[in-house]
Amino acid sequence: MQWSERYRPSCFAEVMGQNLAVEKVKKFIKDFQKNLHDAKKAIIFYGPPGTGKTTIAHVIANETNSEIFELNASDLRNKEKLHEILRPAIEQKSLLGRGKIILIDEVDGISSVDRGGLEELLLLIDSSSYPVIITANDIWGRKLNSLRKKSEIVQLKEIDYRIIRDLLIEILRRENCFIKGNILTNISVKAKGDLRAAINDLQTVAGMRGYSDILIDERNKETDIFSALRMIFKGKPHNDTLKIFDSVQMPIDEIILWLEENIPLEYGGEDLAKACELLSKADIFKERIYKQQYWRFLVYENIFLSYGISASKNSNKNYAGGFTNYKKPMRILKMWMNNQRISTKKSITQKYAKYVHIGEKRALKEFPLLKQILLNSVVQKELKLSEEEILYLKEPAGS
Amino acid sequence: MASEIWTEKYRPLNFPELVGQNDIVKRVESLTNSLNIPHLLFAGPAGTGKSTLALIIVKELFRDSWKDSYLELNASDERGINVVREKVKNFARTKSLGKVPFKVIFLDEADALTPEAQQALRRIMENYSNTCRFILSCNYSSKVIDPIQSRCAIFRFKLLEKKDIEKVIQKISDRENLKISPGALEIIYEGSEGDCRRCINILQSTASISPLITEELVSTIISNAKPRDIRVVLDYALSGDFQRSKEKLLDVMLKESISGQDVIKAVQKEIWNLPVEPEIKVKLTEKTGEAEFRIVEGSDPFIQLQSLLASFVLAGLGKQ
Repeated sequence: MQWSERYRPSCFAEVMGQNLAVEKVKKFIKDFQKNLHDAKKAIIFYGPPGTGKTTIAHVIANETNSEIFELNASDLRNKEKLHEILRPAIEQKSLLGRGKIILIDEVDGISSVDRGGLEELLLLIDSSSYPVIITANDIWGRKLNSLRKKSEIVQLKEIDYRIIRDLLIEILRRENCFIKGNILTNISVKAKGDLRAAINDLQTVAGMRGYSDILIDERNKETDIFSALRMIFKGKPHNDTLKIFDSVQMPIDEIILWLEENIPLEYGGEDLAKACELLSKADIFKERIYKQQYWRFLVYENIFLSYGISASKNSNKNYAGGFTNYKKPMRILKMWMNNQRISTKKSITQKYAKYVHIGEKRALKEFPLLKQILLNSVVQKELKLSEEEILYLKEPAGS
Repeated sequence: MASEIWTEKYRPLNFPELVGQNDIVKRVESLTNSLNIPHLLFAGPAGTGKSTLALIIVKELFRDSWKDSYLELNASDERGINVVREKVKNFARTKSLGKVPFKVIFLDEADALTPEAQQALRRIMENYSNTCRFILSCNYSSKVIDPIQSRCAIFRFKLLEKKDIEKVIQKISDRENLKISPGALEIIYEGSEGDCRRCINILQSTASISPLITEELVSTIISNAKPRDIRVVLDYALSGDFQRSKEKLLDVMLKESISGQDVIKAVQKEIWNLPVEPEIKVKLTEKTGEAEFRIVEGSDPFIQLQSLLASFVLAGLGKQ
C-alpha cells in the first residue's frame, strides 16, 4: 500500500503544517452548520500539489460525520454529466441520514475545457443544501471570478521542510524502518513543500537495497550458501559439485564474494594459491561475459568456482573433518561504509584543491601531508570547511 | 587577508619572485609586456611553477580585474571534454573589457585528456581563438598531440635545484621565525624531489608541530605521510599469515583510497626489497605482471590482489 495513502490524516489534529487553513475551515463549518444567512456554501482550497487540499476535504467529512460525494472535474467535462450526477446527490436525502459533502477536485480542469460546466457548478452551489468543497492548484484566472465570489477561499501553503522531515521520521518509526538523517533531510528539502512527493520518495528509498536491507535479505539465504561452501571445501570434487550453485538462491557475483571471504579459512599453502588462482580466473570470465555479452562463458565461471575450487585441495590432506564457521562477505559492506567516510575527505580536498590551484586527484594523493596543515583552525576557516569536515580531520587516522 | 596556507601565502606575485625558471620567465615576461600572448604550453614536473606563472601572466595582463578574465580548469577533474567545452563556451561568451582583447583559459593537466579529447580541445582552441588564449599545462609534452603542440609556444620547466629550494625555505623561515638545522634543510630538499609545493607543505607540516625544524622532526613528518603499509601486507603474506595480509590490504586500499593499480605498482617496486632468492623475485614479478594485466582487463582488483598474495605465501614457504 502506498504510504501516502496509509498515513493520510483522518482528523484535524493530524493535519500538519496548515494551522491557519485548518482554523479557517473550522470556522466555515461552524458558520455553515449555524445556517447563517450570509454564510458561504462553498469553500475553495487552492495551493500546489501535495499540500493537503483533498486530504482536508476528507478530514471535514470525517469530523462532521458526513458522506463525501466526490467528483473529479477533469473526468466530468460537460454540463449534462455534471447535472445528472450532481442533482440527485443534492436532492436525495442520504440513506443513512448522514450529512453530505460535495467535493469537486481540481476545478481548474473544468474551467479550461468547458465553460458550461462552470456555470452549472455555480448553480449547484446556490441550490445545494450541503457544503461544496472545491480544490484547485490556481484560482486566480478570470474565468473563476464568479466562483471566487461565492466561496470561502483558503490557501494551502507549501509545507515547511522541517515539518515534512518530522512526519517522515514518524512514518519510518511506524514502519520499523531506518534511513539516515541526511537522506531524510534531502528528501524533505527536495520535495519543495509537496508532502505527497516526499512520502513517495521515502517509500522508494526505504524499498531500495540499502544497508539495513542487505542484512535482512541475506539472513534467509545463509543456510543454502553455507551448505554449498561446506560441500565445495570439505567434499570430494564430484559431478554433483558442478550443479551446486543451482540450488543456491543467490546471484553468482555474490557467490564469488562468499568464496573469496571463506577460501582462506579452509585452504593454506599451495591449495590456497590454486583456489585463489581459480577464483581469479572465474572473475576474468565474469568480466568477459559483461564485455562481450557472451553468456556461454558462464559455464567456465561456474566450473572454476565449484569443481575447480573443490579440486584445489590436496587429496592427501583431510579437510572433511572439523566444523568451519563460514563468514559473511564483508568487503562490499566495508567498501560501502568507507565510501561514506571518503566522501568527507573528498569534499575537503575539493575545497583545498580549488583554493590552491591544483587538481583534486593530486590533492588527494598528498592528503597525508596536507592533513597536518588542515588541522590549523585559521586554515579551516579560510577554506570554509564545514563542521563535519573539521570533525573528520580531528579523527585519528584509520578509526 | 594573507592566506595561512603557505603555498598560497608565499606564491610568487610577479616575474622576479619566481625561482628556478629564469630563462622561461624572461621570455614570458617580454611576451606579456607586448600585451599579446600566443597559446602557451607549459610542460614540466609538478611544483615547478606552471600554475604560478599562469597566474602571474593574467595578473600582469589584467591587473585588478584578472578574476573576470581568467578561467582555471583541471582536465583530470572535469568529467570529459564536453564539460570543458561547456565551461569554455560560457566563459568566452562575454568579451574582455580593457586594453587586452582576449581572455585567458588555463587548462591544468592537459595530458590527462585522451588523444580523442585532445582533438576536440584543438577544435575548441580554434573556435575561440579570437576571444581566448589558452595556457595548457602538462607533465609530459610528449603526451600532448602534435596539432596542439604546433599551436602553442612551448616552455619546458625544470625541476628546482637545491639552491632554489633553499632560497624558498630560507625566505619562509625568516618570515615565520623558524629555526632550521642544515641537516633538516637537506632532508626537506630530498623529500620534496624538486617539487616546490611539496617542499613548502613539508615545511608547514613540520612547523605546525614546532618552530624548531630538526632533521628528526622532518623525517618523521615525511615518513608518516608515506604509505609504507604495502610492505606490511607483503610481510604478513611471506610469513604465511594470509588472512592478516588480506585484511591489511583491504584496510590500506580503503583508508588511503588507493586504486588496485597503485597497489600493484607499489608491490612491484617492493619485491626488490624483500628477503627472498633472486629467482623467486623474478617469479613474483611475473605473477605481479599477470595480476596487473588482469586488473587492466577489467577484473576485480581485490580478487586479483588476493590471488597474488597467495603466491607470496608460497614464496614465503620456499615453494614458488
